[in-house]
Amino acid sequence: ILDDPDLKDIDPTVLKHCHAAAATCILEAGKQKADIAAISTCLEDCKLDKERIEQFCTEYQKNKDALEILLGSIGRSPLHITDVSWRLEYQIKSNQLHKTYQPSYLVTLNVENSDSGSHPDVSFSCTMEQLQDLVGKLKDAAKSLERATQM
Amino acid sequence: KLNVGVDTVQHGVEGLTYLLTESSKLMISEVDFQDSVHVLGFSDELNKLLLQLYLDNRKEIRTILAELAPKLPSYHNLEWRLDVQLASRSLRQQIKPAVTIKLHLNQNEDQIAQVLQTDPSTLLHLIQQLEQALGEMKTNHCRRIVRNMK
Repeated sequence: ILDDPDLKDIDPTVLKHCHAAAATCILEAGKQKADIAAISTCLEDCKLDKERIEQFCTEYQKNKDALEILLGSIGRSPLHITDVSWRLEYQIKSNQLHKTYQPSYLVTLNVENSDSGSHPDVSFSCTMEQLQDLVGKLKDAAKSLERATQM
Repeated sequence: KLNVGVDTVQHGVEGLTYLLTESSKLMISEVDFQDSVHVLGFSDELNKLLLQLYLDNRKEIRTILAELAPKLPSYHNLEWRLDVQLASRSLRQQIKPAVTIKLHLNQNEDQIAQVLQTDPSTLLHLIQQLEQALGEMKTNHCRRIVRNMK
Protein backbone atom coordinates (compact mmCIF):
# COMPACT_ATOMS: atom_id res chain seq x y z
CA ILE A 1 0.00 0.00 0.00
CA LEU A 2 2.86 2.31 0.80
CA ASP A 3 4.01 2.09 -2.83
CA ASP A 4 0.63 2.84 -4.42
CA PRO A 5 0.90 6.07 -6.54
CA ASP A 6 -2.72 7.09 -5.80
CA LEU A 7 -2.03 7.19 -2.09
CA LYS A 8 1.27 9.03 -2.41
CA ASP A 9 -0.06 12.24 -0.97
CA ILE A 10 -1.34 10.86 2.28
CA ASP A 11 0.79 10.70 5.39
CA PRO A 12 2.16 7.12 5.66
CA THR A 13 1.31 6.87 9.38
CA VAL A 14 -2.32 7.68 8.68
CA LEU A 15 -2.26 5.15 5.87
CA LYS A 16 -0.97 2.47 8.20
CA HIS A 17 -3.63 3.24 10.77
CA CYS A 18 -6.35 3.04 8.14
CA HIS A 19 -5.04 -0.26 6.85
CA ALA A 20 -4.81 -1.73 10.33
CA ALA A 21 -8.29 -0.52 11.21
CA ALA A 22 -9.81 -1.92 8.03
CA ALA A 23 -8.02 -5.24 8.50
CA THR A 24 -9.17 -5.56 12.11
CA CYS A 25 -12.74 -4.76 11.15
CA ILE A 26 -12.77 -7.31 8.36
CA LEU A 27 -11.19 -10.06 10.45
CA GLU A 28 -13.56 -9.51 13.37
CA ALA A 29 -16.54 -9.59 11.02
CA GLY A 30 -15.25 -12.78 9.45
CA LYS A 31 -14.50 -14.42 12.79
CA GLN A 32 -17.97 -13.71 14.14
CA LYS A 33 -19.58 -14.56 10.81
CA ALA A 34 -21.40 -11.24 10.97
CA ASP A 35 -24.10 -10.54 8.38
CA ILE A 36 -24.40 -7.37 6.30
CA ALA A 37 -26.91 -5.75 8.67
CA ALA A 38 -24.60 -6.09 11.64
CA ILE A 39 -21.64 -4.68 9.72
CA SER A 40 -23.68 -1.75 8.42
CA THR A 41 -24.91 -0.89 11.90
CA CYS A 42 -21.39 -1.05 13.24
CA LEU A 43 -20.05 1.22 10.48
CA GLU A 44 -22.94 3.66 10.94
CA ASP A 45 -21.95 3.95 14.59
CA CYS A 46 -18.50 4.91 13.37
CA LYS A 47 -20.06 7.77 11.39
CA LEU A 48 -19.24 6.51 7.88
CA ASP A 49 -21.56 7.82 5.13
CA LYS A 50 -24.01 5.54 3.34
CA GLU A 51 -22.08 5.30 0.08
CA ARG A 52 -18.91 4.15 1.80
CA ILE A 53 -20.79 1.61 3.89
CA GLU A 54 -22.38 0.16 0.76
CA GLN A 55 -19.06 -0.10 -1.02
CA PHE A 56 -17.45 -1.80 1.95
CA CYS A 57 -20.27 -4.29 2.32
CA THR A 58 -20.26 -5.20 -1.37
CA GLU A 59 -16.53 -5.85 -1.33
CA TYR A 60 -16.86 -7.82 1.90
CA GLN A 61 -19.64 -9.96 0.48
CA LYS A 62 -17.50 -10.77 -2.57
CA ASN A 63 -14.62 -12.06 -0.48
CA LYS A 64 -16.53 -13.50 2.49
CA ASP A 65 -16.16 -17.16 1.53
CA ALA A 66 -12.44 -16.96 0.86
CA LEU A 67 -12.03 -15.17 4.18
CA GLU A 68 -13.89 -17.88 6.07
CA ILE A 69 -11.80 -20.61 4.50
CA LEU A 70 -8.62 -18.79 5.43
CA LEU A 71 -9.72 -18.23 9.03
CA GLY A 72 -10.88 -21.81 9.34
CA SER A 73 -7.50 -23.15 8.31
CA ILE A 74 -5.63 -21.33 11.07
CA GLY A 75 -5.12 -23.40 14.18
CA ARG A 76 -3.44 -26.51 15.52
CA SER A 77 -4.47 -30.03 14.77
CA PRO A 78 -2.87 -33.46 14.85
CA LEU A 79 -0.88 -34.49 11.79
CA HIS A 80 -3.22 -34.64 8.86
CA ILE A 81 -3.25 -37.61 6.48
CA THR A 82 -3.41 -36.51 2.86
CA ASP A 83 -2.73 -39.68 0.91
CA VAL A 84 -1.67 -43.29 1.15
CA SER A 85 0.78 -45.37 -0.91
CA TRP A 86 1.21 -49.10 -0.69
CA ARG A 87 3.54 -51.75 -1.96
CA LEU A 88 2.94 -55.48 -2.13
CA GLU A 89 6.03 -57.62 -1.85
CA TYR A 90 6.77 -61.30 -1.71
CA GLN A 91 9.67 -62.22 0.52
CA ILE A 92 11.92 -65.00 -0.71
CA LYS A 93 14.89 -64.86 1.58
CA SER A 94 17.02 -62.77 3.92
CA ASN A 95 20.61 -63.25 4.96
CA GLN A 96 19.37 -64.81 8.18
CA LEU A 97 16.64 -66.98 6.74
CA HIS A 98 16.11 -68.59 3.35
CA LYS A 99 12.92 -69.78 1.70
CA THR A 100 10.56 -67.52 3.63
CA TYR A 101 7.86 -67.15 0.91
CA GLN A 102 5.65 -64.62 2.65
CA PRO A 103 3.65 -61.82 1.10
CA SER A 104 3.65 -58.54 2.96
CA TYR A 105 2.35 -55.04 2.44
CA LEU A 106 4.28 -51.85 2.98
CA VAL A 107 1.94 -48.93 3.62
CA THR A 108 2.96 -45.29 3.76
CA LEU A 109 0.57 -42.62 5.02
CA ASN A 110 1.48 -39.25 3.56
CA VAL A 111 1.11 -36.77 6.35
CA GLU A 112 1.06 -33.00 6.39
CA ASN A 113 1.93 -30.84 9.35
CA SER A 114 0.04 -27.55 9.20
CA ASP A 115 2.54 -25.81 11.46
CA SER A 116 5.89 -26.43 9.88
CA GLY A 117 4.86 -27.66 6.45
CA SER A 118 7.07 -30.68 6.98
CA HIS A 119 6.08 -34.13 5.78
CA PRO A 120 6.79 -36.71 8.47
CA ASP A 121 5.31 -39.72 6.64
CA VAL A 122 4.28 -42.75 8.62
CA SER A 123 5.36 -46.10 7.17
CA PHE A 124 4.67 -49.56 8.41
CA SER A 125 4.53 -53.13 7.20
CA CYS A 126 1.67 -55.56 7.67
CA THR A 127 0.39 -58.95 6.60
CA MET A 128 -2.73 -59.41 4.53
CA GLU A 129 -4.79 -60.21 7.63
CA GLN A 130 -3.57 -57.08 9.38
CA LEU A 131 -4.40 -54.96 6.37
CA GLN A 132 -7.88 -56.45 6.29
CA ASP A 133 -8.25 -55.53 9.94
CA LEU A 134 -7.11 -51.98 9.22
CA VAL A 135 -9.46 -51.54 6.27
CA GLY A 136 -12.33 -53.03 8.27
CA LYS A 137 -11.85 -50.48 11.02
CA LEU A 138 -11.64 -47.59 8.54
CA LYS A 139 -14.86 -48.77 6.94
CA ASP A 140 -16.52 -48.78 10.36
CA ALA A 141 -15.47 -45.16 10.78
CA ALA A 142 -16.85 -44.27 7.36
CA LYS A 143 -20.17 -45.97 8.12
CA SER A 144 -20.39 -44.06 11.39
CA LEU A 145 -19.80 -40.83 9.49
CA GLU A 146 -22.59 -41.67 7.06
CA ARG A 147 -24.99 -42.37 9.90
CA ALA A 148 -24.01 -39.13 11.62
CA THR A 149 -24.75 -37.08 8.52
CA GLN A 150 -28.21 -38.61 8.26
CA MET A 151 -29.24 -37.62 11.74
CA LYS B 1 30.47 -83.89 35.02
CA LEU B 2 31.40 -84.60 31.40
CA ASN B 3 35.08 -84.99 32.24
CA VAL B 4 36.29 -82.90 29.33
CA GLY B 5 37.91 -79.47 29.18
CA VAL B 6 35.89 -76.23 29.07
CA ASP B 7 37.18 -75.51 25.59
CA THR B 8 35.91 -78.81 24.25
CA VAL B 9 32.44 -78.16 25.67
CA GLN B 10 32.39 -74.66 24.24
CA HIS B 11 33.45 -75.89 20.81
CA GLY B 12 30.88 -78.61 21.01
CA VAL B 13 28.09 -76.18 21.77
CA GLU B 14 29.23 -73.76 19.08
CA GLY B 15 29.47 -76.52 16.52
CA LEU B 16 26.02 -77.80 17.36
CA THR B 17 24.56 -74.30 17.22
CA TYR B 18 26.13 -73.64 13.85
CA LEU B 19 24.92 -76.95 12.46
CA LEU B 20 21.33 -76.38 13.58
CA THR B 21 21.04 -72.72 12.59
CA GLU B 22 22.53 -73.22 9.15
CA SER B 23 20.32 -76.24 8.47
CA SER B 24 17.20 -74.41 9.66
CA LYS B 25 18.10 -71.28 7.74
CA LEU B 26 18.43 -73.19 4.49
CA MET B 27 15.52 -75.47 5.34
CA ILE B 28 17.38 -78.48 4.00
CA SER B 29 15.65 -81.81 3.57
CA GLU B 30 16.24 -84.84 5.80
CA VAL B 31 18.34 -86.57 3.15
CA ASP B 32 20.58 -83.53 2.68
CA PHE B 33 21.00 -83.22 6.45
CA GLN B 34 21.96 -86.85 6.82
CA ASP B 35 24.47 -86.60 3.98
CA SER B 36 26.08 -83.51 5.50
CA VAL B 37 26.35 -85.05 8.96
CA HIS B 38 27.67 -88.33 7.61
CA VAL B 39 30.78 -86.48 6.38
CA LEU B 40 31.66 -85.69 10.02
CA GLY B 41 32.26 -89.35 10.75
CA PHE B 42 30.06 -89.85 13.80
CA SER B 43 28.29 -93.07 14.71
CA ASP B 44 24.94 -93.91 13.11
CA GLU B 45 23.15 -93.52 16.41
CA LEU B 46 24.56 -90.03 16.89
CA ASN B 47 23.57 -89.10 13.33
CA LYS B 48 20.00 -90.21 14.02
CA LEU B 49 19.90 -88.15 17.21
CA LEU B 50 21.18 -85.09 15.38
CA LEU B 51 18.56 -85.51 12.65
CA GLN B 52 15.81 -85.78 15.25
CA LEU B 53 17.12 -82.68 17.02
CA TYR B 54 17.09 -80.81 13.73
CA LEU B 55 13.53 -81.81 12.80
CA ASP B 56 12.16 -81.09 16.25
CA ASN B 57 13.60 -77.60 16.56
CA ARG B 58 13.85 -76.14 13.10
CA LYS B 59 10.47 -74.40 13.15
CA GLU B 60 11.30 -72.56 16.35
CA ILE B 61 14.78 -71.70 15.14
CA ARG B 62 13.33 -70.27 11.94
CA THR B 63 10.90 -68.13 13.93
CA ILE B 64 13.77 -66.69 15.92
CA LEU B 65 15.89 -66.11 12.82
CA ALA B 66 13.00 -64.28 11.19
CA GLU B 67 13.21 -61.67 13.93
CA LEU B 68 16.72 -60.76 12.83
CA ALA B 69 15.79 -59.54 9.35
CA PRO B 70 15.63 -55.77 8.70
CA LYS B 71 12.18 -54.57 9.58
CA LEU B 72 9.97 -51.55 9.47
CA PRO B 73 7.51 -50.78 12.23
CA SER B 74 4.66 -53.21 11.88
CA TYR B 75 0.96 -52.69 12.30
CA HIS B 76 -0.60 -53.59 15.60
CA ASN B 77 -3.96 -51.87 15.95
CA LEU B 78 -6.03 -48.87 14.92
CA GLU B 79 -8.51 -46.86 17.00
CA TRP B 80 -10.68 -44.14 15.53
CA ARG B 81 -12.97 -41.35 16.66
CA LEU B 82 -15.35 -38.96 14.91
CA ASP B 83 -14.96 -35.30 15.82
CA VAL B 84 -16.73 -32.16 14.71
CA GLN B 85 -14.96 -28.85 15.18
CA LEU B 86 -17.50 -26.20 16.19
CA ALA B 87 -15.30 -23.14 16.70
CA SER B 88 -11.73 -22.01 16.96
CA ARG B 89 -9.92 -18.91 18.07
CA SER B 90 -9.92 -17.53 14.53
CA LEU B 91 -13.42 -18.57 13.40
CA ARG B 92 -16.68 -19.07 15.22
CA GLN B 93 -19.69 -21.12 14.17
CA GLN B 94 -18.00 -23.88 12.20
CA ILE B 95 -19.07 -27.38 11.36
CA LYS B 96 -15.89 -29.20 10.44
CA PRO B 97 -16.04 -33.01 10.61
CA ALA B 98 -12.82 -34.94 11.11
CA VAL B 99 -11.78 -38.48 11.88
CA THR B 100 -9.09 -38.83 14.55
CA ILE B 101 -7.05 -42.00 14.38
CA LYS B 102 -4.66 -43.63 16.84
CA LEU B 103 -2.33 -45.97 15.00
CA HIS B 104 -0.52 -48.55 17.17
CA LEU B 105 2.72 -49.85 15.72
CA ASN B 106 5.38 -52.27 16.95
CA GLN B 107 8.97 -51.34 16.41
CA ASN B 108 11.78 -53.49 17.73
CA GLU B 109 9.72 -54.59 20.69
CA ASP B 110 8.55 -51.08 21.55
CA GLN B 111 4.97 -50.07 20.98
CA ILE B 112 4.40 -46.64 19.56
CA ALA B 113 1.06 -44.95 19.14
CA GLN B 114 0.68 -42.15 16.67
CA VAL B 115 -2.29 -39.78 16.60
CA LEU B 116 -3.38 -38.68 13.13
CA GLN B 117 -6.38 -37.00 11.59
CA THR B 118 -8.19 -36.96 8.25
CA ASP B 119 -11.26 -35.47 6.72
CA PRO B 120 -14.15 -37.61 5.46
CA SER B 121 -13.24 -37.47 1.76
CA THR B 122 -9.64 -38.52 2.39
CA LEU B 123 -10.92 -41.35 4.55
CA LEU B 124 -13.00 -42.70 1.67
CA HIS B 125 -9.99 -42.33 -0.62
CA LEU B 126 -7.81 -44.29 1.83
CA ILE B 127 -10.36 -47.08 2.03
CA GLN B 128 -10.59 -47.31 -1.75
CA GLN B 129 -6.81 -47.41 -2.21
CA LEU B 130 -6.24 -50.03 0.48
CA GLU B 131 -9.04 -52.25 -0.82
CA GLN B 132 -7.29 -52.15 -4.18
CA ALA B 133 -4.10 -53.23 -2.42
CA LEU B 134 -5.88 -56.19 -0.84
CA GLY B 135 -7.33 -57.16 -4.19
CA GLU B 136 -3.86 -57.43 -5.72
CA MET B 137 -3.06 -60.70 -3.98
CA LYS B 138 -5.99 -62.31 -5.75
CA THR B 139 -4.94 -61.35 -9.25
CA ASN B 140 -3.61 -63.96 -11.66
CA HIS B 141 -0.21 -62.34 -11.69
CA CYS B 142 0.34 -62.70 -7.96
CA ARG B 143 -1.15 -66.15 -7.81
CA ARG B 144 1.19 -67.33 -10.56
CA ILE B 145 4.23 -66.01 -8.75
CA VAL B 146 3.23 -67.54 -5.42
CA ARG B 147 2.62 -70.88 -7.13
CA ASN B 148 5.90 -70.91 -9.01
CA MET B 149 8.11 -69.79 -6.19
CA LYS B 150 7.53 -72.50 -3.66
